[in-house]
Amino acid sequence: MSKDHNAQKTCWNCPALELRGHVDFRACGQSMRKFMTEGQAMAECKRRPELGLFDPASLTFEECPEWEEGPYGYQLRDMRVLILGIDGYLGWTLALWLGSLGFRVAGVDNFNRRRWVAEEGSHSVVPIAPMEERLRAAKEVLGIEISFREFDILDNEKLRQFIQEFQPEAIVHYAECPSAPYSMVDFQHAAYVQHNNVIGTLGLLFAMRDLAPEASLIKLGTMGEYGTPLTGRPIFEGIFPADAVLQWDGREWSLGGELTPRDPVSFYHVSKVQDTFNVYESCKYWWLRSYDVMQGVIYGVHTEQVAADPRLRTRFDVDEWFGTVINRFVAQAVVGIPLTIYGSGGQTRGFLALRDAMQCMTRLILSPPEPGQYDVVNQISGVYRVRELAETVARIAADEFGLEVEIQRLENPRVEADEHPYEVVYEKLPQQLGFEPQVTLEEEVYQMLKLLIQPSIRSRIEAIRQVILPKTRWSGLHKEMDVIERYKVRPRRVVGLGAEGGGEDDPER
Amino acid sequence: MEAKGPRLAIIGLDGVPYELIRDLAAKGVMPMVDELFQEGKLDKMASSVPAVSSVAWSSIITGENPGTHGIFGFTDVAAGSYRLTFPNFAQLKAPPFWEESLFGRSAILNVPSTYPARPMNGVHIAGFVAPDLTKAVYPPSLVDQLRAWEYEVDVDASSAHQSLELFLRKLNQTLDARTRAFLGLVERPWDTFMAVYTGTDRLLHFLWPAVTDPRHRLHEAALDYFRRVDHSIGRLVERLPEEAPLVMLSDHGFEALEIQVNINRFLLQEGFLRWRRERPRSLNDLAEGSVAFALDPARIYLHRKGRYPRGTVGEDQAEKLVDQLAAALAELRVEGREAVARVYRRQEIYHGPQVDRAPDLVAIPAPGIEFKAGLEADSLAEPAAPFTGKHRGDNAFLYVRPPEGHEQPPQARSVQDVQPLLVWLKNSLCQSRRRNDE
Ligand SMILES: NC(=O)c1ccc[n+]([C@@H]2O[C@H](COP(=O)([O-])OP(=O)(O)OC[C@H]3O[C@@H](n4cnc5c(N)ncnc54)[C@H](O)[C@@H]3O)[C@@H](O)[C@H]2O)c1
Repeated sequence: MSKDHNAQKTCWNCPALELRGHVDFRACGQSMRKFMTEGQAMAECKRRPELGLFDPASLTFEECPEWEEGPYGYQLRDMRVLILGIDGYLGWTLALWLGSLGFRVAGVDNFNRRRWVAEEGSHSVVPIAPMEERLRAAKEVLGIEISFREFDILDNEKLRQFIQEFQPEAIVHYAECPSAPYSMVDFQHAAYVQHNNVIGTLGLLFAMRDLAPEASLIKLGTMGEYGTPLTGRPIFEGIFPADAVLQWDGREWSLGGELTPRDPVSFYHVSKVQDTFNVYESCKYWWLRSYDVMQGVIYGVHTEQVAADPRLRTRFDVDEWFGTVINRFVAQAVVGIPLTIYGSGGQTRGFLALRDAMQCMTRLILSPPEPGQYDVVNQISGVYRVRELAETVARIAADEFGLEVEIQRLENPRVEADEHPYEVVYEKLPQQLGFEPQVTLEEEVYQMLKLLIQPSIRSRIEAIRQVILPKTRWSGLHKEMDVIERYKVRPRRVVGLGAEGGGEDDPER
Repeated sequence: MEAKGPRLAIIGLDGVPYELIRDLAAKGVMPMVDELFQEGKLDKMASSVPAVSSVAWSSIITGENPGTHGIFGFTDVAAGSYRLTFPNFAQLKAPPFWEESLFGRSAILNVPSTYPARPMNGVHIAGFVAPDLTKAVYPPSLVDQLRAWEYEVDVDASSAHQSLELFLRKLNQTLDARTRAFLGLVERPWDTFMAVYTGTDRLLHFLWPAVTDPRHRLHEAALDYFRRVDHSIGRLVERLPEEAPLVMLSDHGFEALEIQVNINRFLLQEGFLRWRRERPRSLNDLAEGSVAFALDPARIYLHRKGRYPRGTVGEDQAEKLVDQLAAALAELRVEGREAVARVYRRQEIYHGPQVDRAPDLVAIPAPGIEFKAGLEADSLAEPAAPFTGKHRGDNAFLYVRPPEGHEQPPQARSVQDVQPLLVWLKNSLCQSRRRNDE
């Protein structure tokens, strides 16, 4: 795997850098302003004060002894990473992943997610331990010390205190409500999701401005921010490439560098778009640096660390609000519920396995943008149609586990196109950050089936059977969907794009 | 506590040329200075090579040449790397005069290149480059007082790019705050007092024609700044003991500027320099085959093997390359005129234990031309605007008002003769005191 994606980055990108001001030799003068176009930036290293004042562009990661070679590129020794939403599906997995790579990890959560899932009468079908036990097991089994604080990140005072104390060099922001259906239940839920997500992020940005301006923010957005443009124009990585052009009325303008259009598909997705603008503006106003991660739908249960002990497992939800599509299919296959797809099932989305998502996040953390730089990555490893996924899961369940699996097409509870073009550009992670996917869809589906089919877990799926099928409609009606068609996938059938049947589940949630 | 003993005061005016201070005094723009000039002797003095403040003031306060004090410019390259550093007081390899007991308790205010401040007998406020006020001041308890005076280490010269009027306003504000600090601290006990006005240099960089040309729209405004400086000096001198000897000086002179010449561009064009990437970000992008590079303003270093990570120039090739570089520089012409007034080789100007770190060559520009060593320049020469003034090495000034009843001390011809002069003055004071005591 490529390790040298960040070798030539300089102190300018490093969170240990403290910008001190500028000197303009032509005027023999200094300016205390940290960011200027005139003159020469002067910096100090918070980790190596003995270097004195120096030009931050003149030292590369490769040369700096604080950056050591690691499996995912040069790695800042004992780099301090703060994970907001550390109790969640991705947060907990990342905490253990980074911890075992030698990062110093701290995290915040208020267990919102556990409550939201309980609100629906559901639970994580893979049992998860309470936080104290998780932390203890991390220490015992993996030797990882995680510093955890329980509070709502909307409590800005507490957030500031913790940032001040921990002095993060990177902040991974997962602490949002991630469910589209949940945000569509009623006004209260929509308002709650938007408040939690938008105001939480805004407070974080102000805290970073004041207390951690050099830290790199890795902010989770979603591919759902873009929607699915029906013209078929490519979905760029958030920002138009330099040679994009707008033509109208016989005239022409460059679009290079501008944010691309967003077309969110639920009030949850709207909250992510609002976040995008808030983050973008703070980079502009305050020289913060951020990756806005347009993440595809994550599937899977496995990393080496979460599989190391039952107390270290990450959550796995399959209910209509919080389950993501492939994870839900696997659970449905295990308990004999037909895999549910919406409409024609032709919806196409970007996906990424849990373990690959962890690799991507590590690479992003290790390759901080420059001060003031707002960057966007489309974080997916492949694009699939939902009905194709259902068929893949059904086939593996039948072939490898002898399960009898049906697929059913339901009326679509959402307002979305179920047949549409979809061309996603996802080049930065593989081309600039050295990301190489390590997991195939088939392998991970197999692994998930293997875990979920265990009687103890199967019975936990059975117990929440009634909340698996969708009832939350975008129209506001709360009622089960009518079945359009039901069909069986025969074993050993080769499935390709455009196969008949289909419907879809909820790609994101 | 009242300080006892013979007292000595030094006032610095960064960048003010001999001819300018002489004329401003004579024409009544600086009446206080004129009055002082009647009581002592004004001379021309040579600056350091290169004539930049960090090098010149380091020589002034130590009495040494850069080969001994180790400060060769505002920037340097850390050994064994391409890390561009901003050497400061911590890297100064010779002691400043106030660390000798002869000078007693001192107030050292706004002397460039004395950051970070370190413990000493007295008070110290470092001059530029001093990015963090809390580290620029000794004792640290003085920081709050300085903040109350709204003290700034340096005017933010970037405002000059927006408006010269705005820049002048900021210069005045910075000067007023500096005067408050100088006057506040001159009242405290000291044996040696040194205060430097640095806004003069900033002003001359952007407003040289306004100062020298009576038809310039900002002529009066620029002269007003010197009136304010004069007034500030007057109030300071009032508070000095009358019998105390006074030294007034600048670190380098100035002259008009028209063209900026980019020395690294020249080295590139002549094949001495090569980059590893199209747009170099720093010296770290020097390619293996480069034989030389320049640091501001025109310090040329051979890319020596063993000294730089990708250096290839061996000891045996050095002399020949220096000859080639000197010959090429002598030929350098821009806009039809010769650009180089003189090329110094290391051994002509530097001596002492730090000489290995010295540039191999230093080029001195012809009148009207300024050398710069930026990396990204696309052309050899470019208009210097909005900069209109540049340093000059041969017309700094030195004024001495000897202690009462003493002759003029031996003349200081260059910046590194200043410290011996200060020692001479202190010694003669001690002797006369001893005589008086007898
Ligand atoms: N899982 C996916 O497929 C996917 C895809 C794209 C984007 N994302 C985004 O990634 C992030 C993490 O997703 P996840 O699947 O791990 O979700 P999750 O709900 O499991 O994790 C979010 C965590 O944040 C916590 N949290 C929420 N609001 C909080 C608050 N105000 N204060 C403190 N803690 C709070 C929750 O308790 C939860 O533990 C989310 O922002 C989500 O939108 C996820």
